[in-house]
Order: sequence, then structure tokens, then C-alpha cells
Amino acid sequence: MDGTIEFTMGLSDGIAWPWPIAVYLFFAGISGGALAVALFIRFYKQQTTNTPFLKAASLVSFATIALGMLCLVLDLTNPLFFWRILVYYNLNSVMSVGVIALTAYIPLTALMALFALEEEIKQIPLLRPLVPVIDKLKGIRRPCEYAVLALALAVCAYTGFLISALVRFPIINTSVLPALFVASGLSAGAAAAKMLAVGIFKEDLHSQDMKILHGAEWPIMFAEALFLFMIIMSLATGNAGAQSAFEAFHTGTWSMVFWLGVVGLGFGGPLLLNFATGKQFSHSSQAFYLSGLCAVGGMMCLRMFILYAGQNFAI
Amino acid sequence: MSENLERRRFLKFLGAGSLIVAPLGCSSVDEDKNSNQPHYIMVFDQNKCVGCGDCKVACNQANNLPEGKSRVMMEQQSGGVEGQVCPQCGKTSCECERKYVRVSCQQCQNAPCVTVCPTGAAHRDAKTGIVTMDKAKCAGCKYCIAACPYDARYINKETDVADNCDFCLESKLAKGELPACVQSCRYDALIFGDANDPTSYVNKLLAVKDSVRIKSHFGTQPSLRYIPIVKQGV
Ligand code: SF4
Ligand code: SF4
Repeated sequence: MDGTIEFTMGLSDGIAWPWPIAVYLFFAGISGGALAVALFIRFYKQQTTNTPFLKAASLVSFATIALGMLCLVLDLTNPLFFWRILVYYNLNSVMSVGVIALTAYIPLTALMALFALEEEIKQIPLLRPLVPVIDKLKGIRRPCEYAVLALALAVCAYTGFLISALVRFPIINTSVLPALFVASGLSAGAAAAKMLAVGIFKEDLHSQDMKILHGAEWPIMFAEALFLFMIIMSLATGNAGAQSAFEAFHTGTWSMVFWLGVVGLGFGGPLLLNFATGKQFSHSSQAFYLSGLCAVGGMMCLRMFILYAGQNFAI
Repeated sequence: MSENLERRRFLKFLGAGSLIVAPLGCSSVDEDKNSNQPHYIMVFDQNKCVGCGDCKVACNQANNLPEGKSRVMMEQQSGGVEGQVCPQCGKTSCECERKYVRVSCQQCQNAPCVTVCPTGAAHRDAKTGIVTMDKAKCAGCKYCIAACPYDARYINKETDVADNCDFCLESKLAKGELPACVQSCRYDALIFGDANDPTSYVNKLLAVKDSVRIKSHFGTQPSLRYIPIVKQGV
């Protein structure tokens, strides 16, 4: 029945989840993505040494998840209530399940960083007390790596499940969102770790690891584009609510964020830098950093777009 | 003529019935668990609401909410108020009929806020089935606010935790009284009672009146019923 009775006002005074949550989703995606890619390579190439890429990835992973947690806590109405999430559980809640995953994941990323950065830690006097701890825990490195790989992917996916449970926002409430977040987490995480590996840990731009990454990058990006396309199509051809949300892609500020940020920067940037420039430039370190920054920036725009455009188009 | 008479008699019956039944319906709050679980519902009659806002004030007082805040709002859908633009025709003075609609927690039987709350702060009261808050558990994550399809939750700035209309579960129902808004409405636009009690006034009312639920397509099974203004000729 059309026009029976409806109300359009709300009591919450606007957007429930503002930008710190988007930043948190961004950091959690990078953290999980970077570590997952590094561990994939480690298992695939059966590496036993601490490669520069592994070092970079574990450092990125730990730093970003810690920053992400900070965003999450600061976004609570009262950050001092944080302990309540850790004490009370509701297993029906995606957030609660995520908290359980994170309480295992965060210490494990710290442990990964300790293992991977052993040599560096030995050189810093302040951190030297950690060395015996690393030695003690070395025996369980392998199982920890398996566990953290599973958890890293779970964390990436969880950030998607977390928000896709919000039924009133057609852009957010899609089953493809977790997959999209895993794919974009992997690509941005790999890009971030790559830049750090070359910049700080003196990885060669054309090393073995870099070659594998380069080979994996494009398929992941393609999957990401595909998932995005799936979301857009399901909105454009969906019911009235979905179609009204489809507007987010062609009107208003958020459509700019989508086309310039997600598509232009995130997809267009790396593609142009790699294929549309001369061979000399596309193999240079400028192109390398630029395209890495594009991937990371594009992912941030994606999280912002999904969260804000999503909440703006409620049904 | 006869239809009018019937109607008069019926209304009289309803009036008398509500005096007896409504308090009974409330006292069942205190009954033991063996009895059938009540299902408290509220009916908003748009035909009777004049938009005076007394319900908001009463809610604020009954639940000790911060100044100017209450768990219910009135959305004006049409009809001019002096100095304001009519939402329907866009003019400052018009002949549109005044229409208001109550905005508040719909007391979903399948409540997304309860499902998503990570701490169980947003929960269903075991005895009454009413969706309410355990303020001591809420972490202020605002997940419930984003999840509520009715945008009917908000953060109480004084306590820093989420809040929703719970039919005055603690402030009034616990004392055997009707919710504050229902008590305060001078026009009888709000009716409250137990839908599982076949003798309750709400049951009888709903049996004879067409009522609708808001956004029922979300499948949350809201417990608020609305009797919309239906134009009968001009
Ligand atoms: S209307 Fe919103 S706050 Fe009320 S029970 Fe339903 S989901 Fe929860
Ligand atoms: S804000 Fe409070 S009541 Fe709402 S989901 Fe978070 S912890 Fe639960």
C-alpha cells in the first residue's frame, strides 16, 4: 500500500557512525591485508628467513591495528566505557564476535612483529629485554603464523560483516561487502607493506617477493572492481529503496568521492602509472611509491564512501 | 442512523472496558513467569492526535531525561502551524488537515538493536518482553543506533549511553501505571495494553479498527500500531 503511514524523522541526530569508524575500517583492512599477503608469500615460497617484506608487513599490521583500535575507542560516547565490550558478550552480535577475534589477533600481530624484527630489536638497546622473550616463543612461531593468517582474513571480512548487518542502508546491507573489504584490504595492505619494505627495509624494487606481489596485484584489483560492480548493479536493478540509494553514485559530494577517489585514484592511478607511462618511468621508484599511495588512498575513499554515502541513503 | 447508534454503544463499551481492563493489563507485569508472556503494544490514533506535544513533556519528566529531550517525537506531516511551512503543500498558511505521527521505538519483537548490541545492554526484559536498556553495560558504540531501522535510538548526553522508549518500563509500568505519554494524552490518541490478553482494550480496538505498522517490510515485527487518517469523501 502506498502512502499509508510513515515517519521520516529520527531521534539519533544524524550519522550514527562518523569518520573515525571509516578510518578504523581502513586501518583494520590494511592490517589484515598486509599480514595475510606476507604470510601467503611466506608459505608459498617456503621462506624461513625474515624477508624485508615480512618485516614491513608485520610492522604495518601491528601499527595499523593499534591505531584502528584507538579510533574505535575514541569514537565511543565515553571512551572510559571500553572495558564493557571486553567484559560483556553477545554472541549474536557481529561486533562481539569481532572483538573476540581481535583480542586474539592483536597480541598475535605483536608477536609476528617481534619474530620478524628480531635482528632490528637486537640492535636497539631499549628493546633488548625482548630478545629472551622472542627466543622462548620461537618454538610456536609456525602455529602462530597459521593462526594469524586465518585471523587476518577474518578481521578483513569482519569489518565488512560488521556494517553489512545494518539493514536500513542499501549500499551497506549487501552480502558482497565482506568480500569487497577482503579484496581491497589485501590490495591496500600489500601496497602499504611494499612501500615500507622498499623504503625502510631496503628491499630491492625488482626482487622475487616484489615480482610475486606484482603478479597478484592485478587479479586482486580485478576482483575488487568486480565486487564493486556487483554492488552497483544490484542497487541499480533492485527495489525502490535500492534504486534510490543508487543515486549516491551519480549525485552529490559522495559520488565525487566515489568516482575521483575510489575509481580514479584507487583503480585508475595504479593502472595509468604502470601501463600508460613509458617503461622507464613505470619501473622507477617514483612510480612505485605513487601507485602504492594511490592504492592506499583509494581504499580509504572506498571506506569513507561506503560508510557515509551508505548512511545518507537510508530506507 | 442505526450505524451511528451502534457506534455510540460500542464506544461506550470501549470506554468502560478501558477503565477496568487497562489497569488489569498492567498489573500482569508483576505476575509470575508461568502465565503467558505478555506482548505490550501501543496504538497511535492519528485521527485524535493534535500535535500538542504533551506526550513528549511527560516522557521527559517520567524518565528523568536531559532538558528538552524525550524518547518520542511528533512528526508533522501536513497542516499549517502559524509561522511554519506546511510540509505537504509548502505554503505558510493553508487548509491542509493537520497530521502528526508519533516517532519512537517501535518495540520490535525481532529487534535488530538487541541482536547487534555487543554487550547485551540493549536487551529484552525477561518478564515483559519489552526492549529496554541495561545502562551499566552499554559501551556507547552506537551499533544499535545504526542498526535500528526506525532511527528510534539516541545517545543520552547525560549518561553517555544509548536509550530508547521502553514503555516507561521502570518509571511507570513497575508501579502498575500506564506509560507517561499515554497518561498525559488529553485526546486519547495513545492506547496501551497487552495484545496477548484477549480481554484487553487494545485487542478489542484492533479488532474493529484498521491499523498499520511502520516499515513492516523490515521484518522486525514492530509492536506499535498506527491508525491513519483515512479521508472519507470531501
Ligand atoms: S524500533 Fe529500533 S530501538 Fe526499538 S526495538 Fe526496534 S530496532 Fe530496537
Ligand atoms: S551503544 Fe550501547 S546499547 Fe547500543 S549497541 Fe552499543 S553497547 Fe549496545
